[in-house]
Amino acid sequence: MATRRDFVKTLAAGTAAAYVGGRSWSDLLAQTGAPKRREVFIGRKRVKVIDSHHHLNIADVARVVKGTPFERQAVTTGDGIIGPERIAWMDRDGIDVAMLTQQGAFWYAVQDRGLATEIVKAQNEGTAAVVGKYPDRFLGMASMPLQFPDLAAQALEDGIKRLGFKGGGISAGWAGAKNLSDPEYDVFWSKAQELGAFLFMHPGGTNGNGDPHFAGKGALGNTIGNPLETTIFFSRLIYEGTLDKFPGLKICGAHGGGYLPSYLGRTDAQCRRQDDVCTAKKRPVEDYFHTQLMADIMVFREEGLRHLVAELGVGQLVYGTDIPFGWPVTPDFILNAKSLNDAQKEAILGGNLIKLLKLSPATTA
Amino acid sequence: MQKRRDFLKTIGGAAAGAYVAGRGLPALAQRGGARGGGAPAPAGPRKQISIGGRRVTVIDVHSHCTVDGVAEVVKGTPFERQAGGRALGADRIALIDSEGIDVQVLTINGYWWWEIQDRGLADRVVRAQNEGLAKWVSDHKDRFVALTSVSLQFPDLAAQQLDYGVKQLGLRGATVGGHVNGESLSDPKYDPFWAKANELGVIVFMHPGGADNIVKDTAWKARGDIGNIIGNPLETTYFLTRLIFDGTFDKFPNLKVCGAHGGGYLPSYFQRTEVACDVRGNAMCANKKHPREYLKTNIMADTMVLTDEGLRHLVAEMGISQVVYGTDNPLNWPVPVEMIVNHSTLTNDEKIQILSGNLMKLLKITTPATA
Repeated sequence: MATRRDFVKTLAAGTAAAYVGGRSWSDLLAQTGAPKRREVFIGRKRVKVIDSHHHLNIADVARVVKGTPFERQAVTTGDGIIGPERIAWMDRDGIDVAMLTQQGAFWYAVQDRGLATEIVKAQNEGTAAVVGKYPDRFLGMASMPLQFPDLAAQALEDGIKRLGFKGGGISAGWAGAKNLSDPEYDVFWSKAQELGAFLFMHPGGTNGNGDPHFAGKGALGNTIGNPLETTIFFSRLIYEGTLDKFPGLKICGAHGGGYLPSYLGRTDAQCRRQDDVCTAKKRPVEDYFHTQLMADIMVFREEGLRHLVAELGVGQLVYGTDIPFGWPVTPDFILNAKSLNDAQKEAILGGNLIKLLKLSPATTA
Repeated sequence: MQKRRDFLKTIGGAAAGAYVAGRGLPALAQRGGARGGGAPAPAGPRKQISIGGRRVTVIDVHSHCTVDGVAEVVKGTPFERQAGGRALGADRIALIDSEGIDVQVLTINGYWWWEIQDRGLADRVVRAQNEGLAKWVSDHKDRFVALTSVSLQFPDLAAQQLDYGVKQLGLRGATVGGHVNGESLSDPKYDPFWAKANELGVIVFMHPGGADNIVKDTAWKARGDIGNIIGNPLETTYFLTRLIFDGTFDKFPNLKVCGAHGGGYLPSYFQRTEVACDVRGNAMCANKKHPREYLKTNIMADTMVLTDEGLRHLVAEMGISQVVYGTDNPLNWPVPVEMIVNHSTLTNDEKIQILSGNLMKLLKITTPATA
């Protein structure tokens, strides 16, 4: 399997965009002080903005991977390390609470169970410490060693029960032989269902991936690779019957859930013309997206958002920014959407997650 | 590299599904009307489509066929088994009659002949295909037009074949796959072909074959025939994306490239492509214009997004002038003409543009629907 090193490289390149007017957040803070915290209102109502798609790195991972082949994967500096700069960013954009998922997924390539466990433990305890330091602003999400389904289940349970996390972040990949719809992952899905975990799926296995087809112009490993990985992941969970086996699962796909929610027609059209290839799936494709599968709103343009809402329903969509990467998705993207009414805007910006995760409607975590 | 043979297998498999009478058809009927599919359609009256009381011409941009003359050309070569499989006959006419298609655009879409290393053989295969198509079209003048096959592994030859096909055989454009033995068609070596299409002002129809240039290993070995369901739109997405970012459309601004299956994922999920050059520090974009400019001018797509909302979205993203009716005929996808005629948000004028207005001039179709 190709290492995930390319992913980190791609992300590093992406961080350039996080600079503000040519200056980094830390420079900006030093020179002009912290920005005033933006409070988002719809009409006269202050609404809570929750960012479901928000990354971090934990520097302590470097200690764990030191002297291993994964030594260079640890990220100890830069915008992924959460500090006052991140709070300033959230304040400027009007994000009240962010759900923290670990950046990348390099540890999926670790073959040693002990090392994998230690990496994830460092990440999760580091995340818990960030949440402890800024309890009003963050919610934790577990990272897990998905190459070992039983350990992944344990890490998710530990994160939720001991560290107070709301769920976990997962990647899928597609180039390797393993698929998260394989029965060996039932132990993981079963645990996630039992815990009522919110799973945030973020691609990361396909970026570059050593495939020359994704080299070249347009950052295709990201532009195409990311939505592709999510599309294959969701398609497999649907076609292989995983979502029918575990009907309590709630999985949110990053970047508008990849291609599938924006291009739903082909999935069931295939079952209608060739039902022998759809032997495990029990429901129409829309049904999975109206109940178990969710998506963030990272489609950037109103027409794309309108289409997502039409296909999935407002209740399945959550606000997400991909911070610390500089994608153009401030809350104004939702606030200015002409096709949404006020209640729908509030639901997407935070209401849906408040309900799903039983969060306080107060504008703190 | 994986051979394109799987493409034919996939198509063969799909056709097999279509032949099983009864199975899947009730579901099709629920969804929007059963179609004849690959099953021999009963010869019956020709369906005629009217919108707002006006008879409108229906042009189908997306269909599959093969021509018999190729078998003789490849006999005794390693490509012997590739020829044939979907010959045209009376059943095709019965099929388009039953579906209300007035004019069908014929293309041969396997692209197995791009693996032929012998230039002479490659040329003879394409010649046989193009002459076979021209013969069928001339025998059924009002009902069919055809696009040339080309030997794109020899770009200069491909340009000659396109020129010959259009000028001598009366063909109306070219059809291509998403990659030439793994290479992107945005590679400058393929410029002679694009330059010729640009010069002639003809349509280039692109049909994918499962993205075997990108996704390998076991990723496609799963339920749902995802090598087709995801692989096809993926290959098209990748193909069109490279033509944008690598600057091919800037070099040849007159190009009209029509992507099968709604142009893959690209038009329906265009925004990530749209912002990539601004957001990704490593994007190195060569395109001179904003990506959406190409989507609204150079890129076209057929209507095969299969839902009413999907089509509304496709039109909203591309503009009405870029969307054209396509069926994947004779495969049995649920895309009856009623999907356009009864669309919930399109105006009558927009429906007519999709059904034929956008293509009449580009394909030089002058005969209005008769009968």
